[in-house]
Amino acid sequence: MSDTTVLGGRAVRESLRTPDALIPTIFIPLFFPVVNTGRVSEIFRSDTTAFLQGRGYAAFQLPTSLLPAASFGSSALFLVEEIEGGYFDKLRAAPISRVSIVFGRLWSEGVKSLVLTALMVAVALPFGVRIAGGVTGFAVLLVLIALWAVVFSGFMQLVALKSRSAAATQAGSMVFFPLLFITPNFVPRDQLSPLMEIASSFNPVTYLMEAAGSLVLDPSFQWAVLGKGFAVVAVAMAVMVALTVRAINDYE
Amino acid sequence: MYSLWTSIYDRGQDLSCSTATLEESDHHPDQKETLMTLAVEATALAKRYRGKGGEVDAVRGIDPAIPAGSVFGFLGPNGAGKSTTVRMLTTLMTITSGSARVAGVDVAADPDGVRRRIGVALREAGLDPRQTGRELLRLQCRLYGLSAAEAVARTEELLRLVELEDAADRNVKGYSGGMKRRLDLASALVHRPEVLFLDEPTTGLDPASRLTIWEEVRRINEQGTTVFLTTQYLEEADQLCDDVAIIDDGLIVRQGSPAALKDELGRRRGDGIAPTLDDVFLDATGRSRARVAGDVQEVRA
Repeated sequence: MSDTTVLGGRAVRESLRTPDALIPTIFIPLFFPVVNTGRVSEIFRSDTTAFLQGRGYAAFQLPTSLLPAASFGSSALFLVEEIEGGYFDKLRAAPISRVSIVFGRLWSEGVKSLVLTALMVAVALPFGVRIAGGVTGFAVLLVLIALWAVVFSGFMQLVALKSRSAAATQAGSMVFFPLLFITPNFVPRDQLSPLMEIASSFNPVTYLMEAAGSLVLDPSFQWAVLGKGFAVVAVAMAVMVALTVRAINDYE
Repeated sequence: MYSLWTSIYDRGQDLSCSTATLEESDHHPDQKETLMTLAVEATALAKRYRGKGGEVDAVRGIDPAIPAGSVFGFLGPNGAGKSTTVRMLTTLMTITSGSARVAGVDVAADPDGVRRRIGVALREAGLDPRQTGRELLRLQCRLYGLSAAEAVARTEELLRLVELEDAADRNVKGYSGGMKRRLDLASALVHRPEVLFLDEPTTGLDPASRLTIWEEVRRINEQGTTVFLTTQYLEEADQLCDDVAIIDDGLIVRQGSPAALKDELGRRRGDGIAPTLDDVFLDATGRSRARVAGDVQEVRA
């Protein structure tokens, strides 16, 4: 078993032993779409709103739950705790690849996100939400969201490694919310105001939101939309990995 | 146990500068054989930080040479450079200049090789509070390349050694300070290291826990492991160490066996009062004792 999976297993165990840390990860992401749906579902009715493709507005809002849930990066807070407590140095003094210390946590974030995403989709089922892409669409959605969770968590761990401060790391996770609000999370991009449309076009989270949304709403796979979503993840992943390797190797 | 420093001291040489000591030892006919048995050796080891107020020389060219199988005490006031030295020797920090070999392996050239040969218990008991003692040791075993079965066996062995069998399935978070230190010590021993670095292992412990740690250190050393110990408790160094070095402001200012250092100070003072290691420490670091209203205060001379 590689060092990464050994350390990943430990991080999974850590998450299971701190269920209280998962509560905001579930509650806050559910809060926004529930409120949004309650406010405008009568305006955006499935039978009169073209972009819903015959589905309820709750289905349109599902990515607005899934992406924030994958963007908490709580494992970075555990990392800071380990840095402060000295266990991080203990791991650094072991004859393992130092990158595996961070990658083990990312591995567990991916696993955790798969479970959380599946759970949140299950919670949405009683509200009439279905994944239009079927089982395959559901699987692709899980992979997309889990990969994003790994990327975002990686950036949070970078903040943790650089700042070694729980406060700075916690503040870093708030970065996602402005990005979320500059996405077409209420209506599709072409229905936003011109200024907002331009802003959202420069926001990488927009393409993730659209890729996730297409899997939920459209039974035919929109490869171009999905391709952009996965491209965002791939580029962000490459940048995150490069920076992480550098940060952990330079860490003293 | 053979002591390089004691032998040098016994030859009546000046021990106030480690560099000079090493240079002089270059001429000793047994030098080659002695260096072969060194567990830790460094040459002009230095660390410079770039801090907010400019550059800081935390360690300014020290040359510790520690014979294999000994217990070596590294003493010094707060901020003297003890932990920085340990962090360099344990590959946790890069070396600014100079060189160091631990267990015969060059620290800068082969850090991974060094990590395989050393055990480290740093000042903060570096433990994962959310794991049980047993889980933590098993994980540590796996990280040092033991198979699952070997990890189980070694974990049980270590739990017995540090007398934590009863608490093994409790989360580390609930352990007392002494238990955490013992577990930390056990986790540093999973791979039977050649050199064990202990950075202030008894700081903050009650006297009973401190004695337990001393016992463990002795036992570990008897099994052949070289122990590099930093401490602020001079009694601890006196009890445990074959040799000590006192570092102040990044430089080694005194080194030798505790007995030799005390003898040397006693002879120099010539007042007939047997000095303690505390006296040696105060003398070496330029500090003195001043009694004010019954309290002992330490003041810079």
